[in-house]
Amino acid sequence: MKKTATRLLIIIFLAVMIIFTVYPVLYTILGSFKTNLELQGGGKFFPSEWHFSNYVDAFQKAQFLKFTWNSLYLSGLTMLFSLITSSMAAYVIARHNFTGKKVLLAAYLSVMFVALGPITLFPQYMLMNDLGLTGNLLGLALVLTGGQASNIFLTIGFIKTVPKELDESAIMDGAGYFKIYMSLILPLIRPILGVVALFSFRLAWNDYITSLVFSISNQSIKTLTVAVVGLRYSANAAAELHIMTAGASIAIIPIIIVYIFANRQFINGLTAGAVKG
Amino acid sequence: MKSKSRSKLNSQLYAMLLPNLILFISLTVYPIVWSLRYMLFDYDGIRSASFVGLDNFVRLFTRDDVYWSSLLNTFEYAAGKLVLIIPLALILAMILNIPFKGNTLVQAIVFSPTIMSSAVMALMFYLLLNVYNGDLNRLLLSIGIIQEPINWLGTSLAMVSVILVAVWGGVGNYMVYFLSGLQTIPKDIYESAELDGATYWPRLFKITLPMLGPVLRIVLMLAILAAFQDIQSIMVMTEGGPLGETQVVFLYLYQLFFPISTTSAIQPQIGYGAAASVVTGIILGIITAIYLFVSKKLDDIF
Repeated sequence: MKKTATRLLIIIFLAVMIIFTVYPVLYTILGSFKTNLELQGGGKFFPSEWHFSNYVDAFQKAQFLKFTWNSLYLSGLTMLFSLITSSMAAYVIARHNFTGKKVLLAAYLSVMFVALGPITLFPQYMLMNDLGLTGNLLGLALVLTGGQASNIFLTIGFIKTVPKELDESAIMDGAGYFKIYMSLILPLIRPILGVVALFSFRLAWNDYITSLVFSISNQSIKTLTVAVVGLRYSANAAAELHIMTAGASIAIIPIIIVYIFANRQFINGLTAGAVKG
Repeated sequence: MKSKSRSKLNSQLYAMLLPNLILFISLTVYPIVWSLRYMLFDYDGIRSASFVGLDNFVRLFTRDDVYWSSLLNTFEYAAGKLVLIIPLALILAMILNIPFKGNTLVQAIVFSPTIMSSAVMALMFYLLLNVYNGDLNRLLLSIGIIQEPINWLGTSLAMVSVILVAVWGGVGNYMVYFLSGLQTIPKDIYESAELDGATYWPRLFKITLPMLGPVLRIVLMLAILAAFQDIQSIMVMTEGGPLGETQVVFLYLYQLFFPISTTSAIQPQIGYGAAASVVTGIILGIITAIYLFVSKKLDDIF
């Protein structure tokens, strides 16, 4: 008797949590099919009529095609930079000794526990500006790639599970370190590369503040998130609620689709290197 | 001959380390050094910087009430977020640690907000929480839980609302941390406790929570740091308003560097912002140190 009561309590708790989680997402996606009038009037939860035209309006009138392309390009570039730089560095750190290795690791670890906040944005922007990299998305992609301390720790942990004997026999065969990294290590650490790829793509795709700062003086590199949120501040924001919901859906649906197929990588990647007591 | 080929290999290793090292030094280390320099300057980003010594700090400690009230707001926000998110995540993890049908689906759903843009979803919450046409008020009115519309983003409730949105966005993260912590507890401990006749509650307080201690310590640390840093959703939902009710310290610092918003059009105060950032960093460092010290002491006692 007591057992069924506990079970009921658990089910109610989980149901409440699921509704709490899903409700805003459903509201967004359903809202993207409502007319502006319906959104303003605060109508029902489900659209009274399904209007796909909001997406057409967003893509055509509100330039969302360009913003979506910017976001895709930026996220792809950030993912590529992150994969290359973090896996190479992780290989060197995991497999070799060099002067300053301890200092470097301590520096990486400490920045993970130091909250720098928005202080870094201004010098980062000025640096990229001085290098002439703010005219396109390259500078922003480099900033979003950054030092990636956590990706490096994730990858180091994974490389350490690869038997060192494999490296040593390759060295015996006369292979250089770069060759070992390319043809031996990379294929074996594919699972963790997948996690790094997902994490860095998500970071760039969802980023708001850094992307906002970089596009203040160059509107042509505006990303999807910056454009969607920017609608809130536009002069006729009230007339564009349907574009807001459609734009927000364009921003979240692709990543939800990725998540449906790769949710285990996202979830397990979080704790792969982090919490080990 | 041999040493030559060896040094060639070493240069290969350095070349592989270099791309990451350049990014780390120029994007993480350099900004810190930069702020330590500009905190002593009066600089608006346009005219050339002039050296003012410790003036920025004098202003911060004696004349800037907004900074200190935003710091208090941050503590309020962080405390509210932690008090809700940690127990919720822990309960979820303990439930999901029991195998049942649909377990992984529930995990995936609760974790899903962490993959979405917090800024975009904050905009949606802004619509959802609207007093007159927001969906939440419509829903609560129609079920009869409330009699008149609630002003979710008004002065009295704005802080509660931004905290709830933060819980929405983050509870899945902590759930996963706790779940992986729970899975490291050996099953046979429970089995022997069960043989001794221990029921659920003693097992929870005598085995589960103490065994989870080390994980809890790190997760709390991460949660405190995260709570100080998340400004994206507050920036979108309230811009720190109304009347500075939700002005958190990192948002205030951001506005010193980039004072572009709908309500304010003031000059950037780069030098002052750098000084205030350094002080904030030190305050956070002290909080971290105190936390680590106290939690270690507690660990030694129990």
